[in-house]
Amino acid sequence: MEKNLSKNYKKNYNIVIETRHIIKEYRIPHEKTNTLFGQILGRFKGKTTYENFRALNDVSFSLHKGEMVGLIGKNGSGKTTLLKILGGIIQPSSGSFTIEGTVAPLIGLGVGFHGELSAEENLYLYGAILGMPRKKIKEKLDEIFSFAGVERFRNMKLKHFSSGMVARLAFSTMVQADPDILLLDEIFSVGDKDFIPQCLTKIAEYRQRGKTILFASHDLSAIEQQCERTILLDKGELKMFGPTKDVVQYYKTI
Amino acid sequence: MKAKKNHWNVIYELARLDFKLKYYGSALGFLWSLLKPFLMLGILYVVFFYFLKVTIPNYEIYLFLGIITWNFFADTTKDIAPGISSKAHLLQSTSLTPATVIAGTILHSLWTFLITLVIFFIFFFALGLHLTGSAIMLLILIPLLVLITTGVSLCIAPLYMRFNDFGHMWDILLQMLFWATPIVYDYKIVPASVAKWYLLNPITRVIVDMRNAVLYGFFPEPKQMLITLTITALIYFIGTVIFKKYGKKFIEEL
Repeated sequence: MEKNLSKNYKKNYNIVIETRHIIKEYRIPHEKTNTLFGQILGRFKGKTTYENFRALNDVSFSLHKGEMVGLIGKNGSGKTTLLKILGGIIQPSSGSFTIEGTVAPLIGLGVGFHGELSAEENLYLYGAILGMPRKKIKEKLDEIFSFAGVERFRNMKLKHFSSGMVARLAFSTMVQADPDILLLDEIFSVGDKDFIPQCLTKIAEYRQRGKTILFASHDLSAIEQQCERTILLDKGELKMFGPTKDVVQYYKTI
Repeated sequence: MKAKKNHWNVIYELARLDFKLKYYGSALGFLWSLLKPFLMLGILYVVFFYFLKVTIPNYEIYLFLGIITWNFFADTTKDIAPGISSKAHLLQSTSLTPATVIAGTILHSLWTFLITLVIFFIFFFALGLHLTGSAIMLLILIPLLVLITTGVSLCIAPLYMRFNDFGHMWDILLQMLFWATPIVYDYKIVPASVAKWYLLNPITRVIVDMRNAVLYGFFPEPKQMLITLTITALIYFIGTVIFKKYGKKFIEEL
């Protein structure tokens, strides 16, 4: 019954992401053992002590279809952790969330490409993870490389790429994969002056088609330009969620 | 449905890249993976046939089938750890799951196994031997072998991820298991008092049935086959339960 209700509710208000009391807790042992041997020895020495660290503390919010929401907060405030949970990479310690549609996270610079293989080879895997069958990637390959502006290096080993070039490739592939919800983590920090406007144009196009974006960044002016609403995280807690202008203003005071 | 299909795409791409990476830049390329079973075959053949005077007919082909079957199990379970750690970045930044990575490793091993199986049959016919209808059992036994290997891989993968020294222990266990499996000798020489336990080893059961099907033209007894199926199902079930509980937990520890 309750499930049905929430489904209708979502339909009416076009909520695509809803999180309910998400908590992510890490247990940090004072003496970390990574070996089975050490673990067994530790049993004899007595109890190991832990420290609990809450990366996210009771975070609840909902995002509407087609909006671009900013995510700001100081280093270590839990932005990446939140994106990782929404992207299905890690699981929350407690709480739950629902997502309507396909979701793709763009987190970190390396994006986990394998350095020993060519850029093209890497894209086949990355594209597959993003839900593109081989045939589709093959068709889009030219577009991806030209958008990223690295056509010349198609067959170069990825380890020889600069981090900026890898970020370009990752973003270009992501755009082609066309997920319903995009989770962006600091993508502009390595892009150069040509690439950032290019990305922003793409993002605008993407939003016109009713897609949703959650955009974490330290670049407050980019957030102010792009996002109507913004979430402020502070020490794992959702401090504020509202019109970007107000949130950014408040953020500057803390 | 679509998600399921995409899952297979990712597994296929992972297996393909692993295949490529494994033999990348080595002059002998794929031959390396064939050299290993052949060297093993040569050494064991010399020791057991010439020195210890084993009297099994067609011992070379008997040994060959045992070795490639064993190697599939041993190599796959050993490859699980590097398979996961080499994709740590992808696991931490995309929706790729450890289960998919493991499936990719298994598919990659299966390709290698099937190629060695083809070489086995070239040898088999070159020696003037003939297949009978019972060889059709391979179509059941090979999937069983894959299921057993998958079940065991799922059980040990969390241990690999959590404990750095688990690989050493698994190596030793595999050594023991190698001699506890009728690869170089016939299972009938095992004393009756321990045979009951000895025959619980599913790899033993698969190897014995494979030899019966390919070399001796026997179908397995229905009752024995039922036991094999039960053990396989049990291992697979335990594997999925363990992995479901611990599989995702350790991504953050990689």
